[in-house]
Amino acid sequence: MSFTVLNPATETAVLRIPFAPEDFAYCQALSEALLKDPQSRDYPDLIALGFWLRQANLKPLLAQYQQTDFFRHPLGLVFHSAPANVDSLFVYSGILSLLCGNQNVIRLSSRSGGSTAILIDKLRYLASEFPAQNARFQLIQCSYDSPQLTALIAEVDSRVLWGSDQAIQAQRQLVMPAHARELSFGHKFSLCLLDAEALLKADETQFQQLLQLFYRDQLTFSQQGCSSAKAVLWLGDTAQVQQAQLRFWPAFTGLVAQKQPLNASEQYQALANAQQLIMSSETQLTLTQQQTISRIKVTQLEPIFTQQHQGCGLFLELPLTDLQLLNPMLTQAHQTLTVWGVDAMQLKNWLSSVHTGLDRVMPVGQALSFSPDWDGVNLIEQFSRKVVCLL
Amino acid sequence: MQLADELPYALIATDKTPRLLAELQALTLWHQQQCPAYQQLVTAQWPDFAVNAAGNHHSVDHLAQLPYLAVRLFKQLELRSVATEAVFKTLYSSGTTGTPSRIFLDRDSAAVQSKILVKIMQHWLGKARLPMLILDHPGVVSDRSSFSARGAGIQGLSFMGRNHCYALNADMSLNWPALEQFVETYGDGPVLLFGFTFMVWQHLLQALKQSGRRIHLPEGILLHSGGWKKLEDQAVSNQQFKQTVAELTGVSRVHNFYGMVEQIGAIFVECSSGHLHCPVYADVLVRRPGSWQLADIGETGVLQLLSTLPRSYPGHSLLTEDRAQLLGEDNCSCGLAGKYFRILGRLPQAEARGCSDTFAPAIQRKAMPELQSGVQAETQTGGAL
Repeated sequence: MSFTVLNPATETAVLRIPFAPEDFAYCQALSEALLKDPQSRDYPDLIALGFWLRQANLKPLLAQYQQTDFFRHPLGLVFHSAPANVDSLFVYSGILSLLCGNQNVIRLSSRSGGSTAILIDKLRYLASEFPAQNARFQLIQCSYDSPQLTALIAEVDSRVLWGSDQAIQAQRQLVMPAHARELSFGHKFSLCLLDAEALLKADETQFQQLLQLFYRDQLTFSQQGCSSAKAVLWLGDTAQVQQAQLRFWPAFTGLVAQKQPLNASEQYQALANAQQLIMSSETQLTLTQQQTISRIKVTQLEPIFTQQHQGCGLFLELPLTDLQLLNPMLTQAHQTLTVWGVDAMQLKNWLSSVHTGLDRVMPVGQALSFSPDWDGVNLIEQFSRKVVCLL
Repeated sequence: MQLADELPYALIATDKTPRLLAELQALTLWHQQQCPAYQQLVTAQWPDFAVNAAGNHHSVDHLAQLPYLAVRLFKQLELRSVATEAVFKTLYSSGTTGTPSRIFLDRDSAAVQSKILVKIMQHWLGKARLPMLILDHPGVVSDRSSFSARGAGIQGLSFMGRNHCYALNADMSLNWPALEQFVETYGDGPVLLFGFTFMVWQHLLQALKQSGRRIHLPEGILLHSGGWKKLEDQAVSNQQFKQTVAELTGVSRVHNFYGMVEQIGAIFVECSSGHLHCPVYADVLVRRPGSWQLADIGETGVLQLLSTLPRSYPGHSLLTEDRAQLLGEDNCSCGLAGKYFRILGRLPQAEARGCSDTFAPAIQRKAMPELQSGVQAETQTGGAL
């Protein structure tokens, strides 16, 4: 495959001061273009992105980075490699980097899906109105062995690699300058912690709300977003957990039956994947199938689960009598923990003892919200240089 | 008497089903005892089947109650019910993901598969071995290092014939001298033609059409397999396929067949009414995705294959990735007993929609040169015998 620029620059890219008003205006224009296009309605990721790009969202989000006792300057040229099929993820890191004043080149996968096509279309449309921003937000498609890509990477000040662990390792073959920074966002696995006692005590309104929020987190992207939970951790004693499961799952599978988020291929994938995990496990597991949701009761988070779980309506269930029991099971691959019903103090006390694993802890319902803090790093700090002047 | 000793289409449901159920239950128990991963799955998903200390297990009344294995597990796991030393032959298939299935055969399993294949084929071809025209190139079989499902299929069927002639050159062009000599020598009598559906269409029929030539094999029987996907993409129906075959080669007896490397031997051959038929050694069920309950006759679902043959690996009950409709049992207009059904292509690949990317480095793809021929991707649905 050749090296293709999808939204060619019409002028030379020039670095800007961070958080320039024209850059916010570009985001706002992209937001409006996405939100008013009827095509976006088929893609929940585009709608979410459209809302995130509004000035009304971005300005407060970034306000805390604008008042500093140091100078913030752009890094320079930042290369972003988007994962295949995560249609809009690249925009989040690309836009934050743009707002930090950088020049950005974003490599899209050749396997990108339908929502990427809409995004490309919008960015092309904005190019004439925002030539300076367009020049600093260049989308490309090329193979990993393209000579132009090699030359580009040899010039970058930073690269951001999203994707599978294999994709990241493959891209690391390309040499970048000694001073350049690298951020990598590889394979991650997320979890949801539910308190059994709180769930049993919840009134019907609270319970229905939990079901909706859990559904949004897990099934908006067929449980395939890296921050969607693939394992449900039940906190409580054995009897409480069993009762809580009896309340939760029939109601949740009822919601799934009504909304039907999974197609036949995904349902097949869930079954085949459940069988794969069961047959690969070091211990004897049990499988429960209700509607299109499959649940596997586990006693450990085995590495094979973290590596091979493919979502699509398959949940591992791990009962915990004490949060501390989770600590030895956590690895660097464990990213988001969404929580419902657990006392905040209790949770924070426990978190202070978790030295390995977990990058963010969010309320159930906010697993998919993007923040400048991602996988344990702050993107704004990473996309800018902190210049100290002690005079 | 085992079903394997019966004629392929001799039994109606009331005679076949109880015997099939008994044999499949015995096989389930066997694989539970011999393959720990399989036992782990059965215990997890079908706890009633847990084997007790005496080695007895739950007996069931319906084929639908038998455990089944998603066919892609043979790509992901090494599943054997015999010791490594007993493996006599390993078969590989490949799907679109490029990871091949691995099927382990011991001597007995390999022998019984051949025996059953011969029995089924003899029903359609007669007992005499016929001169055989293979609609492929000889390299597919001779290159042992990249022995593909296509190669295995050709090799499996070639002992149904004699005086084998390969119709194609390595570059997929027609080998005219070989073809003309075959037609000249055997064209007046019965001959067997075999190839993969797309190869037959593209490299025999289209090649004949483009060169404006025809061959004449009035007593020929064409067997073909490998799936319709590529022909459907070109909007070629089975009827149109048969018409074109008749027009350009004079062959009027054309039988598609369905089978897969994961369940070799007991294949499903298209009858004179155009339906795929179960032989007595095998059976099919169609399930609704999601609930996995049995679908009604005529309802589209996912195809489950049952076969009494696999003993060296736990492949006697497999949930395929093919969409299908059960059309009926014992009442096909062709007169043969058994269930008959229709294949409607594969389930599309579940699209990765999260960060769990499905990147495969170029190096992995290069490991299987056959994958690049563009034909290989088809063989999952019915490639090898």
